[in-house]
Amino acid sequence: MKLIVRQGLDKVFTVLTGTAVVVLSLVLLVILGPMIVKGTSAVLFHGTVEFRRMQQALFNRGSQGQLAAEVAETKAARQKVYDLIDAFKQGIDTESLKDQAGRIHRQFGQELQDKGIQGEQYTALRSISRDIRTRLEQAFDSRDPNGIQQDLAYVLGFADDPRFRGTAAEGFFRIARQFQKAAGRVDVARRGQYATALAEVEGIVAELLGPRPGSPMPPLVRQQYGATRWEQAQAILHRFSFTEQWVEDQPGRPLIRREVRRREQFAGTDLEPLFDYVPGHLSEMLRPSLTIYWQFLIDDSVESHTFGGVGPELLGTLAITLLGMLFVVPLGVISAAYLVEQAGDNWAVRTIRMCINTLAGVPSIVFGLFGLAFFVLTLLPALGLEPKACVLAASLTLAVLTLPVMIRSSEEAIRAVPQTYKEGAFALGASPFRTFVTVTLPAALPGILTGVILSLSRIAGETAPVLFTGAVAMGRVPHSALEPTRTLSYGSYDMAVGDRIAMMFPHNQYGMVVTLVVLILALNGLAIVLRTRVFKRLKGH
Amino acid sequence: MRQMRWYAAVAVLAIGSVAGAETLRIEGSTTVGPIADAFADYFKTIQPGLEITVNKTGSGNGAAALIDGRCDIATMSRFMKTDEEFKKAVEKGVTPVAHMIGMDGICIVVHPSNPIKELKSDQVRDIYQGKIKSWKELGGPDTPIVAISRDTSSGTYEGFHEMVMKKQDMAPGIEQVNANPQMHARVSSTVGAIGYVGMGFVDAKVKAVRFDGVEPKRDTILNGTYPLSRPLFLFTNGYPKLGSTIHKFVTFHLTEKGQELVEAKGFVPITKY
Amino acid sequence: MTTHKDSFIALPAPAADRIYRPLALTPGEDLKGYILAKAGHAVLFAITCTSVLSVLLIFFFVIREAVPFVRDYSLAQFLTRSDWYPEAGAARFGALAVIVGSAYVTLAALVFAVPVGILAAVFLSDVVDFRVRAWVKPMIEILAAIPSVAYGFFAVRVLAPWMQTHWGFPTGTNALNSSIVLAVMAVPTIISVAEDSISALGPELREAAYSLGSTRMETTFKVVIPAAHSGIIAAVVLGMMRAIGETMVVWMASGNANQIPSPWWDLSQSIRTMTATVAGEMGETAKGSLHYGALFTVGVLLLIVTFTLNLVSEVLLARAKKALGKA
Repeated sequence: MKLIVRQGLDKVFTVLTGTAVVVLSLVLLVILGPMIVKGTSAVLFHGTVEFRRMQQALFNRGSQGQLAAEVAETKAARQKVYDLIDAFKQGIDTESLKDQAGRIHRQFGQELQDKGIQGEQYTALRSISRDIRTRLEQAFDSRDPNGIQQDLAYVLGFADDPRFRGTAAEGFFRIARQFQKAAGRVDVARRGQYATALAEVEGIVAELLGPRPGSPMPPLVRQQYGATRWEQAQAILHRFSFTEQWVEDQPGRPLIRREVRRREQFAGTDLEPLFDYVPGHLSEMLRPSLTIYWQFLIDDSVESHTFGGVGPELLGTLAITLLGMLFVVPLGVISAAYLVEQAGDNWAVRTIRMCINTLAGVPSIVFGLFGLAFFVLTLLPALGLEPKACVLAASLTLAVLTLPVMIRSSEEAIRAVPQTYKEGAFALGASPFRTFVTVTLPAALPGILTGVILSLSRIAGETAPVLFTGAVAMGRVPHSALEPTRTLSYGSYDMAVGDRIAMMFPHNQYGMVVTLVVLILALNGLAIVLRTRVFKRLKGH
Repeated sequence: MRQMRWYAAVAVLAIGSVAGAETLRIEGSTTVGPIADAFADYFKTIQPGLEITVNKTGSGNGAAALIDGRCDIATMSRFMKTDEEFKKAVEKGVTPVAHMIGMDGICIVVHPSNPIKELKSDQVRDIYQGKIKSWKELGGPDTPIVAISRDTSSGTYEGFHEMVMKKQDMAPGIEQVNANPQMHARVSSTVGAIGYVGMGFVDAKVKAVRFDGVEPKRDTILNGTYPLSRPLFLFTNGYPKLGSTIHKFVTFHLTEKGQELVEAKGFVPITKY
Repeated sequence: MTTHKDSFIALPAPAADRIYRPLALTPGEDLKGYILAKAGHAVLFAITCTSVLSVLLIFFFVIREAVPFVRDYSLAQFLTRSDWYPEAGAARFGALAVIVGSAYVTLAALVFAVPVGILAAVFLSDVVDFRVRAWVKPMIEILAAIPSVAYGFFAVRVLAPWMQTHWGFPTGTNALNSSIVLAVMAVPTIISVAEDSISALGPELREAAYSLGSTRMETTFKVVIPAAHSGIIAAVVLGMMRAIGETMVVWMASGNANQIPSPWWDLSQSIRTMTATVAGEMGETAKGSLHYGALFTVGVLLLIVTFTLNLVSEVLLARAKKALGKA
């Protein structure tokens, strides 16, 4: 081949090798970048007044006085929204009227019980109340103005009944009269459409601002607060201004998503100005400010990670890790000491080394199986304990998993201690044991520490072994080592695939993974720094 | 209040349990799990000393845990199997008692961009047996069907297997997911996907099709016209002692608050309250 | 003058007794010291044997739980059939599809990982100087340190949707997704072992080649890689071990479809691996049931495969060391 060609190929080859490394660094960036960026938003974001309200109510943070003042300030801005909705609602919103009727019926029944009315009288009154409720619901749903009037007349026929005076049942008659007035004004035919559209709008306003003051508290914590983050509020605002429709683009192809301005549904009505007001005044209503929620790392999660943080997971990971280290460090250091100091090159030592390498190669899920079969199902009963998944079993399993890492790093560290140290100690008359404990070990300590940190990071990151030996997805912080715990690793898996709430609040999802990754990278970084320091120190001698 | 208590590492490592707080262990279905979660959250506010753990690993595992005595309440989206679970329970001295806390409909869901609005049961069966491979064969766009199923220990799978597949095997090439939320995530993000979830998991991101002409709604499920409706259960070992915490938990659905929670999670409460 | 009872050397009386010690020991002390040393030696040996004990226990317990299944169910059917229906009335456990699935993603991962890994190893050992190496090495270590669940998270939340929207795959959780991420996880292992082997060759071999006028590429392909071939193959084998043993990534991102892709080269189809089967189904299996035994049998398979690969890599590395000793 000609020289030029060979030299050209050589350049190409050099570039290729460089490209391989560049590709790897790009991959690293692609994997870690979005994760860290999105995960940081779990801790650093613009929190709204709803966030502060939630923190106060659930975690007792922030001054109540300040918060109350803030809420009062937002009230003025929000009130306009509710006024606009109310003005439009008269005669339109039958769903809430039906709810009201149902609530009055239940309240009346409760009142009767409280008053001690029983037996036939109770049944009779309750059945009339139920009857009234059914007729009212019929009226609300009806499109026939005559039918409505008939039903309302029937209901109002009971208005003067003395048995209902002064009770909750008077509410029936109140809403019947209101509806009578409103039904006269509104086009009944379109009422159904307006009602559904309005219900959607009200739902989104509740997502933005939280439940309306004065309305009953929703059962789920998630619904008790509005948008807690400004970014979240922006997303909800988008849904407020636009509805999503899937329309046919061409026949025989998938539907395409189209966004329609929601105000078109309310064109010409009293509600239309709402769609200018809300986007314009959202920051007044929510008062976003930059928040550093470092307590994410210590808070418990509320209602499967709707709010709160990863405290229990972090604590569980630390518990398993530290307990595992308690088992593996002495075993690892002593084994390494034996292998370096005492062992000759006989078959026993070769077997030991082969076993260490085998251990290093066993897949993590097989460790999980082993942990289940041995630690959980055999060892625990042998110790008189219940054979169930717990921190102890998980730590033991992970200790066995990390043993090779610990032994290898300790061996490396002990071997790296210069022979001259030992010889000096021998010359002074120290026994081998004493030399090791007082001279070699302290000199090897930084290297051993590196090994400890690497083992720590390995244990913290493993998921498969803890799946059946110690981890649960939801549960309390363990009070002893005999209970299962949540961990960052299993929690990340669960949030990534199994948790519906996590999909709605991705910042919590990413937050947990990033906590784990940052923890492990920090530990590894520490180990690297330590190793270079040790390297320099020993080289200097 | 709800702040984390800082445990010294040693205290956590101390072997031996601390007596005191009452615990309630609940395990089982990923469909009923969210209802149990909601109940648990509420119970924690009215009974602060109570510790409740809810594990969602599948109806089958819930039954196994109840039989082994590893949990107090098993959540299941199907009844216990006679031969495998009921019999084993009785052999081990466990008497399973079922408490029906609500109704659920298994909804066949597709991606919102899919123009298909209804499917018949034999069409769905053919899809899951691999006989129909493209949406074009059903009158839809020319995209390959990505059929997704739950794993075999799931109660939702059992219901689907019995009522739709008529106990026949599915094709081997079906993707499997482990939980309802995972199914929802897969179907909402994959254009050609078809799957099945409990009614509580149907929202704007997936589209529930009419099955055999019936729309899955609260009314059609309650009166049984929707063919894929099923009751949701809490199982206990024997009827719990009246007034005990377990008793309160398994009768909570009969209160108004319990019914609200069941409905808030998207299921059908058993009465109109 | 105080003398030690049995010593042959008379010592001057020390000012403070406890600082000075006689240089000779009594027979009693000598014996005690000997026994202590030997006992200590034995204790250390015993403690070191925990690693041996662990391996033995692992093999014993995993095999023990698998034995009932192998006894009651035909092993031939387990290994040759693909129908895995553990909860059916008449349960069938045909593991062929998951075995092929594991092999499939591993080999596909190696196709991506080996070229990148070896090129990068050559880059680190031959092309750049020490300072650049000091930057690149930590980056490789970070890649190695990222926990598998984070890789799985990336695979299912970022890569899968991206595959669906931008590459037009019908489903993003498939063999290709898992293979790419497994390759990224295996590359650091391949790089570090291969680079060690290549660096250990020393400069003489290369200098001889350069002095004959060959370019760097020719030296690499014709001299360096053949000389270090045992070490490089060992690196690939270790990478293979890493990929086959990986659980979380394949559990989350392979689609878990119990099938053998047809046609065989279609990476866009979902598959299931051995590790994902065990991880996904163990939590719901009754202890001691046939399903339980079947999962442990899959575990035994994994154990056997990784153990064999481990042995192979050790033999190769030993051979590489011997070759260096000779050269």
